[in-house]
Amino acid sequence: MRRFVFLILLVFAVIFILAPVYLMVKISLSPPAEILREHPSLGMEGITFKHWSTILSAGQIWAPLRKSLTVAVMSVVLSLLLGIPGAYALSRLPFKLSSAILLFIFLSRMIPEIEIALPISITFIRIGLLDTDLGLTLAHALRILPIVTWILVSSFKTIPRDLEDAAFVDGCGKVRSLLTIMVPLALPGIAVAAIFGFLGSWDEFTYAVYLAIAKKTLPLVVYYYINRASFFLASAYATVITIPVIIVTYSLQKYLKAEYLAGAVKS
Amino acid sequence: MRRYSTEIIFLFPLLAYLLGFTLIPIGHATILAFSDPWSGAFPSLASFENIFGHFQFKEAVFNTLFITVVGLSLELVLGLGLALLLLERFRGRKFFRALMLLPLGIPTIVVASNMRYLFDTNGFLNEVLYRLGMIEVPLNWMGGGIQTLFSLVVADMWKVTPLVMLILLAGLESIPREVLEAAEIDGASYARRLRFILLPLLKPFITMALIIRGIDAFRIFELPLALTGQTVRVMATYSFFEYREFGNVHTSAASAAILMVMILIAIGVYLKVVKQREIMA
Amino acid sequence: MGLGEAEWKVMREEIFPPFEKEAKVKIEAIQMEAADLPQVLEAQVEAGRVKIDLFAQDNMQLAYLVNRGLIEDLSEYEKEIPETVIPALVEACRFKGKLYFMPYRPNVQIVYYNREKFENYQLDLPRDWEDLLEVARVFKQEEGKGKILFKAYGGAPTATQLYEWIVSAGGDPFSLNDEGCVKTFAFLQELWPFVSADSIRAKFDTSNEYIARDSAYLMQNWPFGIRIIVEEYAKTDIETYHGFSGPVREAHVIGGEVLGIPRGAEKKELALKFIRYLQSREVQGKLVNKLGWPSVRTDAYEEMTGLMRERFKAVNEALEYGVLRKNVSYWDDYVKYVNDAFTQIVIRGEPVEETLDYYHDQLEAAKRRM
Repeated sequence: MRRFVFLILLVFAVIFILAPVYLMVKISLSPPAEILREHPSLGMEGITFKHWSTILSAGQIWAPLRKSLTVAVMSVVLSLLLGIPGAYALSRLPFKLSSAILLFIFLSRMIPEIEIALPISITFIRIGLLDTDLGLTLAHALRILPIVTWILVSSFKTIPRDLEDAAFVDGCGKVRSLLTIMVPLALPGIAVAAIFGFLGSWDEFTYAVYLAIAKKTLPLVVYYYINRASFFLASAYATVITIPVIIVTYSLQKYLKAEYLAGAVKS
Repeated sequence: MRRYSTEIIFLFPLLAYLLGFTLIPIGHATILAFSDPWSGAFPSLASFENIFGHFQFKEAVFNTLFITVVGLSLELVLGLGLALLLLERFRGRKFFRALMLLPLGIPTIVVASNMRYLFDTNGFLNEVLYRLGMIEVPLNWMGGGIQTLFSLVVADMWKVTPLVMLILLAGLESIPREVLEAAEIDGASYARRLRFILLPLLKPFITMALIIRGIDAFRIFELPLALTGQTVRVMATYSFFEYREFGNVHTSAASAAILMVMILIAIGVYLKVVKQREIMA
Repeated sequence: MGLGEAEWKVMREEIFPPFEKEAKVKIEAIQMEAADLPQVLEAQVEAGRVKIDLFAQDNMQLAYLVNRGLIEDLSEYEKEIPETVIPALVEACRFKGKLYFMPYRPNVQIVYYNREKFENYQLDLPRDWEDLLEVARVFKQEEGKGKILFKAYGGAPTATQLYEWIVSAGGDPFSLNDEGCVKTFAFLQELWPFVSADSIRAKFDTSNEYIARDSAYLMQNWPFGIRIIVEEYAKTDIETYHGFSGPVREAHVIGGEVLGIPRGAEKKELALKFIRYLQSREVQGKLVNKLGWPSVRTDAYEEMTGLMRERFKAVNEALEYGVLRKNVSYWDDYVKYVNDAFTQIVIRGEPVEETLDYYHDQLEAAKRRM
């Protein structure tokens, strides 16, 4: 009986998850006549590559792709540089204090981005970071630090203290301990944090509007296609954005051992 | 304090960076919320009065609460179901695990656009229902009313349930097998095992999922923006429209401040309730 | 500026190069939507590092820029505006007595319709609201769903459309409750059941999609849509005409874009030079011929090709009924209140006069505060 229920659940889940993605791909490959009618077709009838060739020749792919990729990687690196020592510290502080600090860190996530995006962007522009990769990186780092920190704290907490204490007894300082023991052991958790950080930067949009004016990121280009062109082109574009992410998540999914996510709540 | 001196040094760059850049804008926004838009006097509750009298705001509050509460509940249930599912060993498990993660990777702006293909009046959901013979005339999913809120919940769940599932799967995988096996040997039914053993052990993970998701759930934005626009608002889109369309930074900030307070209260209430249960359990 | 691919192509290939050669500069073109421009400019102006030297902005979204002092005062350059520029369009650039913008490109909404469907049901194009209601009724009867698209998304699109309809009912939109306004809202309430369900998501971009996918057979939108609909969506049976009149007159709001210079822009002189270039007869003529844009100058149509004249017909005729929106500092408040009124009255069916009276008071309060 249980198996049956699970099977149904599985089938539904797969359909649920794949449906929008399938639609997006299908639309990007369909001639307008198939979709633009009272009863659009559901299958893959009438495939055309026209939309894809249009966007590929429009030349709006490689530069934004490079920019989005660069910014995502850089903001992950920055978040890890700030987050690893910080999370390590939090994992060793008393629970009440570290929880309070963690909540405080999440404060910036509790306010709709539109409110703070402008003042923050003004600061960055003032120091000359308009249209630079660095400017957008700094902004994205602000956005992904909370979740990255959380996951890192969890990861560090899964490492038994005895290991560390043994090292201290041996005369190892805290910094060395961090670098040579904790980080290598927490590497899978760091990978998880990196993945979530990457995703958070990849689809970011609000700051990009202010800080990536002449050199746009991918989400901005999608926005443009949605506004100024047909939604067929926008679908093709959206599919382009999705592909790298699928590759990244699929290849790194073995790292997504969930204990790295949960340690933060274990006191 | 001295005992933690290294910790403080480690923590400092992170906090300085994050709070250094965000505290001032947050403070500034809060001051804006409490300033009178016309005279600039501070403090003043003029903006709050303004939005409380605005029917769109009251609806936005209700919509946000509805979507958050219903959404979180459904996400938990579905996430738990999927996590339990993936706990079982079956062929192709790895593949399904990767598949379940797909929504996480798709940018929200793309998700919003995809959901429009589904939920539009000429959209694919209606098309499927029509072909199944369930409806004659296309349903208006996004026209307002309960079905719109549910549609938003479903659309949001699409992207977010994998995260909840991941966290709960973590929890499940962290329960020692012996505990589960012992219960099984004792003859407890699946349902009983679930309720009395798994769920209590999963509590910290459920808390974590709720908090992480909860904070973002209240702020749901891109989906309502694309799917329902100004007819059905949530608090985040309300703030947005006040700022962008109507040029009123004060009411925008006021509604954002209320949103923040709502989130804090929700977290506070939840933690209190959980604490009570733990004490009583 | 916010342009489509085809439009940018013309800009890059025909409009920019002569200027670049002559002034020995390189123009960096930035695509930006009108809705995003105000805050993007604000970010740069406030930060003291203005990278944008010149922008073209939708003339419906100027209040924010003026109210926050984000642009240069261009009054001293008014005398340099060519004589053949339509005076009313210069007026549209004036706020509180000062000239903050320069005319560049007028625009007007036209009505798109599905010729095949109209022929199928043997309907004539609506000439006034009565006709419109009739057509709407027929569609609903035959197909079971509303097929008239009204941009009900909210914000500027809806506010603009309402402005136009109120004026064609003889009302003053900024009063919100005079006879014309009441007539308009009452009529919309009557029309609403026959309106396409996708109307609440209809704004300038999504509307094109909805008429292309047969979710509606008639709609009002800016002329740029026809290219997208016919070429990209391959929907060749969509055509246009100038529109219909209200109970009192036919009126179409003159939108379009104006040019402005952000406060503190580095290359102000160069920007002014480019403005003059864009206003020149030669360039305006090119815009007319290559892009099908109406011109700010009366003398730019002389070289219009026959093909363009055809496509242009609807736009030209609509322009004859053009009205300019008044430049008031409480425009944003008007947008908010008229939209709220629309939601309550038309979408939710609340009583017309009471609700309008309420919002009238709100708007009056806003006017006093300004």
